[in-house]
Amino acid sequence: MTARTVLKNEWRLLMADRPLKIALGLFVVLLGYALTNGVVWLRFQEHTVEATTNGNVERASALQQELEAIEAGGQPSSPFADPRSPRVLGGPSGSHTAVLAPGPLTALAIGQSDLLPYYYDVNIYTNESSFHQNGEVENPLNLMVGRFDLAFAVVYLLPLLILALSFNVLSEEREQGTLALTLSQPVAARSVATLKLAFRALVVAGIVLGVSLLGALATGGFGSPGRILLWSVTVVAYSLFWFALAAWVNALGRSSAWNATVLVGAWLVLVVVLPAAINAAAGLLHPLPSRVEMVTAQREASNDAVNRRSELLARYLEDHPEMAEGVVADEPGLGALSWAATDAVNGRLEEVAAEHDARRAEQTALVRRYRVLSPALLAQEALLDAAGTGDARFADFQSQVRAFAERWREFFVPAILADEQMNASVLPNVPRFGLADEESSDVVRRAAVPLAVLGGLVLLVSAGAGVGLGRVRGAD
Amino acid sequence: MIHHIVRKEFTDMIRDGRFRWSAILVGSLLLVSLAHGWVQARKASQELTAAQATAREHWETQGEKNPHSAAHYGVYAFKPRLALSFVDEGVDPFTGTSVWLEAHRQNDFLLRPAQDATAAQRIGALTAAQVLQHLVPLLIILLTFGAFAGERERGTLRQLLATGVGWRELALGKALGASGALALLLVPAAVTGAAALVVANPGPTASPLARGAVLAGAYLAYFVVFLALSLAVSARARSSRTALVFLLAVWVVNGLVAPRVAVDLSKRVYATPSAFEFARTVEREMADGVEDIAPPDRDESTERLLAEYGVERVEDLPINAVGVYLQESEEFSNRIFDRNYGALWDAFRRQGILQEALAAAAPSIAVRTLSMGLAGTDVEQHRHFAETAETYRRDLMRQMNGDMTENSLTGDFTYAVGAELWESVPPLEYEAPPLGWVLGNRILSLAVLGAWLAGAVLLASAQVRRAEVA
Repeated sequence: MTARTVLKNEWRLLMADRPLKIALGLFVVLLGYALTNGVVWLRFQEHTVEATTNGNVERASALQQELEAIEAGGQPSSPFADPRSPRVLGGPSGSHTAVLAPGPLTALAIGQSDLLPYYYDVNIYTNESSFHQNGEVENPLNLMVGRFDLAFAVVYLLPLLILALSFNVLSEEREQGTLALTLSQPVAARSVATLKLAFRALVVAGIVLGVSLLGALATGGFGSPGRILLWSVTVVAYSLFWFALAAWVNALGRSSAWNATVLVGAWLVLVVVLPAAINAAAGLLHPLPSRVEMVTAQREASNDAVNRRSELLARYLEDHPEMAEGVVADEPGLGALSWAATDAVNGRLEEVAAEHDARRAEQTALVRRYRVLSPALLAQEALLDAAGTGDARFADFQSQVRAFAERWREFFVPAILADEQMNASVLPNVPRFGLADEESSDVVRRAAVPLAVLGGLVLLVSAGAGVGLGRVRGAD
Repeated sequence: MIHHIVRKEFTDMIRDGRFRWSAILVGSLLLVSLAHGWVQARKASQELTAAQATAREHWETQGEKNPHSAAHYGVYAFKPRLALSFVDEGVDPFTGTSVWLEAHRQNDFLLRPAQDATAAQRIGALTAAQVLQHLVPLLIILLTFGAFAGERERGTLRQLLATGVGWRELALGKALGASGALALLLVPAAVTGAAALVVANPGPTASPLARGAVLAGAYLAYFVVFLALSLAVSARARSSRTALVFLLAVWVVNGLVAPRVAVDLSKRVYATPSAFEFARTVEREMADGVEDIAPPDRDESTERLLAEYGVERVEDLPINAVGVYLQESEEFSNRIFDRNYGALWDAFRRQGILQEALAAAAPSIAVRTLSMGLAGTDVEQHRHFAETAETYRRDLMRQMNGDMTENSLTGDFTYAVGAELWESVPPLEYEAPPLGWVLGNRILSLAVLGAWLAGAVLLASAQVRRAEVA
């Protein structure tokens, strides 16, 4: 009996099994629905990204026109918004929007992109509290429930489909009495089970990867082949885990009903219970200080700073001699005084934020350590990373914006301290945000750990299945 | 006879290893999640109360300044945690917790706890509500999928009916037996929950115990739906395996697929603007006005005051014309905010209603909506607080501008007041909406859950009556 015979017979069985065909068809429909949701969301974000880019251009050209008009003898549109003042030119009305383009495979995994901000208006007043802005306008109910995207279908539903296809791969043959017949041929139970499962794996992986590639094709995601490869490898590894688990349980030689109960229980524990338990443990062991403290700290720092402006200015000038050129510390202008206060508040906010981030890192570390218990968490992390909608890419964006805000301040603050006016000639030199997006290789390196662990789990379970199948005999 | 059936079913179940283990798992998850939720909620509640007190202190001790400067300084409002939020945190992690109430602007709620969490933390939260909505139904299915199908397979159904017991009695007995086994798990949880509610500082909720009782009733109805469905399928199915597969499919659609499908569907039917678009629209309308809402004209306002008081020059006005103009700008911007935020909240509400209607395909959506509503953690109650805070802001601004108008003259930039005025502003006190308000919002979910209950029970009795013996 050859592999071809097994595969051919499996194909015939599949074609004859109407409920199974309906289930597969339904799954394809759901995947299609998931993909269209992702595409709609991607288009929505792209639209916003385009609008922010246009906004940058419009703001810059309006400022240029006004500055040129003033140089030609005109008046500023408002005495409180004179664009020659560095506090105005570098302030909210002259701000530059730093934006993170949607992840290349957003259509496949919406991930954190509906929750985390993907653009920030940067100006001289950008500080730690600026990063607490909300992301996209979204119904909190929708954020709570989550979206129906391909990543969700892969992490939650794909295992169920796999288990439905393979929970009785050997037990049914035993129950029908065909196992003894099959094994009377010169063939090992291990090869029969492997071939039967391989056939199912081909069908399932073919469907999921086909829809994924279609999605990538439709949204230009083919520009990042590394990400597509990572996505595909994750889908395959995750599927293999569930097939291997089904094989192992089948090898134990119990009834189909017993297999079904055990496998559904395993799914429930690994996909639903463990992630929730890990999160709860992280919350209990490393509770986050609430951001509410940040509000109070900011308030207190700014009250304090306003009262001690002169003192703060003197200290600021000591700390930043490079910014102090041309400033007479004894007679600071109003701008310099107010900047010193702003800087003191920023400093205090950075302290509070640093403390918060440290506690948050502890919590995240705990979640990351114990995620190895749940293949679902590992797969989710790798899938979101591949799509460019995971936490890491947003954190990287935020730190680039932080650095950009620093460059922005370095450009405008010396002029504020020196009480100087600016003109249209500085405009070409005003910093512009350029996103240094992560390379595919960075993504692959980051995803290597969860993927390696997932691969390890697959090997472990496969080895167990292999040993178990080796013991299977045709008749008990 | 029936008590024999009940006792047999009950004993069967508690002796079954599978039930014992899954019940221990679900029961301990339920208790852990209640305790976890309670600890978190109490901590958050203490923090918010403290922060609100500090915010008030900042307001009162802001020193001497012009009332309009005080309006710009503003005050922070923190959304309180309601008493029952430890059972169901609902949308709370996804709504901001604090809002800055300042002059000229209606700000967004900031600091969403979920933004500090990771993607992994988003796919599974261990709350009592999650356990009740997802794991308990699963347990019910595991307990009862074989109720009839299993007996039929073993051939005991024929013997049983030979004793003269009626189908109806048999079904009722099986349902009661399973309920008894489940009660071993649910009653302690309900008692723990009620005790926690009495012990904890119950936050600003009117009648938390009444809310808790209705909440328990909603979950009970939900469980009966599953019990009845499961018995119906077991009576109808050819084999217990078919029954199990079918019921698991129902469970997956009910808890996993339908809620998310409903989200994306409701987003497509009732689209909301992007944050960027929304901010731009507000900015544009604030600058130019829109439709019949025109920005106030300062010269016109001054002219009107001069005519009203019968004087020639602004200096001769007995009031501060700037204060009047500032208040007119507030009134104008309030109309712009009402228009835009109102439209946004309404879109959210419509999305929510569409999802509630889709509970016709999945009762989990109905019980989820009721659960959040009664716990005080749904979108409507967030809106209720947001609107209370906004009303407070508007009153505060009116009081500040009014003081400036009445007690200073136009052009007097040195006018300053102190703690007396700040303290005369009442602190923000939030009263959560009463139970009737919550239920009034949730009539659709109540109706859908009621329909499920009636439908499932009718289906079960019909299927049991038509069931085959072998």
